[in-house]
Order: sequence, then structure tokens, then C-alpha cells
Amino acid sequence: MEQDFLVKKLSLQAESFQEGFETLIKCNNTNEMMKNFWHLLRGNFLVTNIYLLHKSSINAEWKIVGSEANIENVDQSLLNHKEQLMIKYFTNKKYNAGVVLPLSDSSYFGILIGCKLDGSRLTEFDKITLQILLQIFSSAYNSFLNQQKEKKLIFELNEKILQLNNLIDADIELSRYDKQNVLFDLAIERIVTLTNASSALVRIVNNSDNTIKKQITFPKGLKAEDILMNSYKIEYSFDFNEKHYLFVLSEKETRKGVSSFSELDELLLQAISRQVQASIENEYLLSQSLEKERIEKELNLAAAIQQRIIPKELPEIEGYKVAGINIPSKEVGGDYYDCIELGNGKFALIIADVAGKGISAALLVNTLNAALYSYLEFNLPLIELADKLNKLIFKSSPEDKYITFFIAVLDKESGKLDIVNAGHNPALLLRKNGTLEQIEAGGIGLGMLDFGIPYTGKNLTIQSGDKLFLYTDGIPEAMDLNEKEYSDERMIEFFKKYSDDEPAEFIRNIVDDLKKFVGGAQQSDDITSLFIKKM
Amino acid sequence: MSTDFKIISEIHNETLVLKTDGYINNTAGEKIVEEFTKNFSDGMKKVVLDLEKSKVVNSIGISYLIEIVEKLIENNGKLFFTNLDPTIEKTFNIMGLFQFAEKVDSIDSVIK
Repeated sequence: MEQDFLVKKLSLQAESFQEGFETLIKCNNTNEMMKNFWHLLRGNFLVTNIYLLHKSSINAEWKIVGSEANIENVDQSLLNHKEQLMIKYFTNKKYNAGVVLPLSDSSYFGILIGCKLDGSRLTEFDKITLQILLQIFSSAYNSFLNQQKEKKLIFELNEKILQLNNLIDADIELSRYDKQNVLFDLAIERIVTLTNASSALVRIVNNSDNTIKKQITFPKGLKAEDILMNSYKIEYSFDFNEKHYLFVLSEKETRKGVSSFSELDELLLQAISRQVQASIENEYLLSQSLEKERIEKELNLAAAIQQRIIPKELPEIEGYKVAGINIPSKEVGGDYYDCIELGNGKFALIIADVAGKGISAALLVNTLNAALYSYLEFNLPLIELADKLNKLIFKSSPEDKYITFFIAVLDKESGKLDIVNAGHNPALLLRKNGTLEQIEAGGIGLGMLDFGIPYTGKNLTIQSGDKLFLYTDGIPEAMDLNEKEYSDERMIEFFKKYSDDEPAEFIRNIVDDLKKFVGGAQQSDDITSLFIKKM
Repeated sequence: MSTDFKIISEIHNETLVLKTDGYINNTAGEKIVEEFTKNFSDGMKKVVLDLEKSKVVNSIGISYLIEIVEKLIENNGKLFFTNLDPTIEKTFNIMGLFQFAEKVDSIDSVIK
């Protein structure tokens, strides 16, 4: 009979233990768990005064949990213990038992069980029940801690995925050209999110004078100095295009307060900063590329303008042979030559060179060409023509632009040459007898000054077998890879030696000689010449 | 280090509406939970977090939001987010917040 009772009681207890365990593992926090355990103890032992205590480590102070009792009213000496489980049963005190249960997080759970309602002590059956309940609590507590760890792990895993995702998104966003105006705002927002930084700073300083060009703080409104002076900070910097870019993060946040940044945080800061650097470099390279494209377009336009006014073929002059050439350089210059039939057996031989290169030089040659054709119609004396051209070019060109200009009007019948040389290289006249004359007379380059300084002309007559060679500085000043010039001497020597050749052949040959001399060096200036020979 | 985070709370039709302004970090997270705790009462089942003026949130801030979600679940309540910046929405998605909270188009859609 007693055995049946015991079996029934044990069966009932087993169900109660199961329910108790389920209740405990459903708790959201340890306080709630202890409170429920308190009820479980009361229900099992019919005891009113049960005190639950907890301490975070073996040397910490006990704290009451699960009730509002005052710790001063609890006899803590009953819970003196070592590291292991302690269960003491009392027979002559107001408590039935004192328990200290070591928990898996190195904290301790203390229990003081008072007298039963009927004043009796704990039976052997109660003592076994207590041990089982302690085991249940310990298991539930472990389960709770594992759940917490699992939640923490999931959170940390999600956080890592978020970091990776943010890093990829940041890379994409920072490299987009339409985001350049908000590049630093984007970077600073991304990096604080990635590292849990409390604040951040981006500062751009001009290297030349150490002045701050731009400064962004996050959150906005924070003082940059507060971030820079913070003891919890990491930074990364780089230099580009004479500017110093500094990225600073301060105060890594945790739920427990501020902490030092980790190595991973430093890597993340570097990654974002480098992405910003790449973005700035790409933007710079793009602008350079666009500028190069613009210059190339301008040069092509300049070349087209120049080529339009260079004669495709020269007029035939009875009793003379004429040839000319213009080889534009890659950087378009402003060379010009022409041979214009004026009527009445007269021809104007012209060569000119604009100081400078590019579209402005080409446009100036265009102006000269148009003006020249107009003025030549009026049959003006050459010194007057040169003066008018000077005034026009002076007005229509910037200060650093002028034109060296040579004109000779040939009367084919008499061989008389009416000449003005406005600052151009001396023309070379080689007489049949081998005498060389360098024709320099004239005045300053067109458009250089407008002080009314008169030009002076020169009159010569060329005889049968005489040759006149006009050229621009692209020939004598052409340089080889060692920057050695072709030179006037070599050009004159070549002229003297080969001027008996047909003019067209002579020009081809001198250009070949020039190219042979410069070797692999790039042509830096236009090569232009005009050669006339009286038969 | 002080930040300029601000929070406003309103109660409409037994729904607590919290409107944030600024970086949701540790300090801001504490303020949000504090405001939630101060205003949330028994019987209240819905809380709306309006993040229109918050464009950046870090994971510490998110951990406070999860705390609110847990407290609401204990009370059979639910958290709603509205006016989410796309970056924040993606962040919440990755952190798993939408398993327990819902994104809504407006505060009104919850209050009704």
C-alpha cells in the first residue's frame, strides 16, 4: 500500500518536474527563471520563506533575486561554500536547507529554504526532490545560456554578412561617377556603419600650404578637434595630386561602452579609404582623358584650318621652277607658304610662321592669309602692306602671338624681287657663281609691336641659275634624340651642295636628310619651305 | 562624445509612435529603448518606429531595436518600421529584423 502511494507520488512528481523544466526554459531572462524556480520550490516543499540569491563570481557579493526581501535579513553565513555544489540540511535553525549551486557561467545560485508550513523538517523524499530540482534548474539555466549564445552568434554572423554586404555596396557606390559630389559623405556613413564607430572625420589638406580644403564630420556638427583628440581612434591617410586625405574614426561602440578598434576595423577603414582614393584617381584620370580628347579635337581642327590655306599646287612661272612643302607637326603649328599670281607677270612668294601652336596659331595664319589676299589686290608697296598687316595682326592676336613673315614680289620678266622680311629667318639666295646672300632686311614680326616703326624693303634681281630658298625654323631647329639641332650650317651646306637639283627633288631630299638626322625624335615643329630657281 | 540624436514619441489609438532623428548608435539605441519603456503600457500592441530622419544605423543600434522586438513579443505586440532609407532597409533585412517586425508605408496604415 505504501509502495503504491510512493509510485503514484513519484509519477506525479515526474510530471511536475517535466512541467517545471518546460516553464524554466521558456523564460526570457534569468530573473524570470529564478522567480519561476522559487514557485517550483514552494509548490514542492510547502515552504513560505525561501530566499534565492545570486552572485556573479565566487568572490562577489550575494544579491537577492526573485523577491523584494532585504539581503540584511538573510543569514548569508549559511551559504559559506567552495566551488562545488553545497547542500546543507539544518535541524536547529529557522531554515531547513542551504544550497549553493555553481552555474556554467561561473556564477553561483544560492537557496535558503525555510520551515515547512507544518513546521516539519525536509524528509528524505524531499531531499531527493531538491536534488532533482537543482539538476532541472541547472539544465534549464544551461539551455538558457546556450540560447543566448546562439542568439549572439546569429547576430554576429548577420553582422559579418552585413559588413561584407556594406563593403561591396560601398565599393560599387564609391566608384560611381555620378556620386562624386557626395563621395566623402557616402564613405563616412559606410565606414561608421561597418565599424560601429561613434564618430568620424574626413579632412583634405593642401600640401603646399597646409590649409584645410574640405572637412566632413559624422555626425554633422561635431568638432573635428574632438575627434582628432579622442584617445580611442584609428586613422588612415594618403596623398594624391598635392593633397593629403585623412580619415579618422573615433570611439568604437559596444553595448558595454566605448572600446578600442580591432584589426578588422583598421582593415575596413583602409578598404573604404583606398576605394575613395581609387575613385578620386579615376575621376582625375577621366578628366585628363577628356582634356586630352578636347586638345586632340582642337588640334585636328587647327590642322584642318591650316591645311585649307596651304596651296595644293603652285602656279607655273615661265622661266622659273618653283616647289614648296609644308609638313605639319603633331602639335599643329602656324606655318604658311604660298605663291600667288598677281597679274602683269608678277608673283608673290610668301612664307610665314606664327609664334605658338594650336588652334589660335592656325586661326592667326587664316587671318594673315585672308588679309594678304585682300591687300595684294590693291597693289600696295610691300612696306605699306607689311605695316597694314602688322597693325591688323597686333589688334587681332593675344600678346604672346606674332608672325614672322617674308614676302618677295617677283617680276618674271626682269627677275626683279621686291622684298620685305618681317622678322623671319633670312632667305637664302645662292647665285650661279656660288655666292650666298642672306636676306634679313625688313623689321619686326607682324603683330609684335605697334609703335609705327617702319618696315624697310629690299630690291634684288635674280639671274638665270640663281636660287632662292625660303624656309621656317622647323628645318634648322629640328632636333635629334640628344636634342642636337640640325642647324643653319648643315642646312646651308645642303643647299649649296644640292641646289642644282630640280626644286621639287631638292625639297624632298632636304626633308629626307632632316629626317635621317633627327632619327626617332618626334617632329616638334612644322617644316615648311619654298624654293624658286631661275632657269 | 555627444551626438545630436532626437526622439519624439506620440500615442495614437493605443499605438506608440517613435520618430527618430539622427545616427542610431549606442546612445541613440538607449534613448529609443528608454522612450519605449516610458511610454509602452499594458494593452498596447503596436509600436511604430518612424526612421524618416535617420539615415545611418550601426549594429549596436540594431541590438537595441531587437530588444524592443523581444519585449513586444513577450507582450504579444508587434514593431513596425516606416520611412526606411534603402540602406537601412537592406541592413534590417540582413540582420533578420523583418522576421519579427514589419515594414509599412505609413504610420496611418498601422493606426487604422
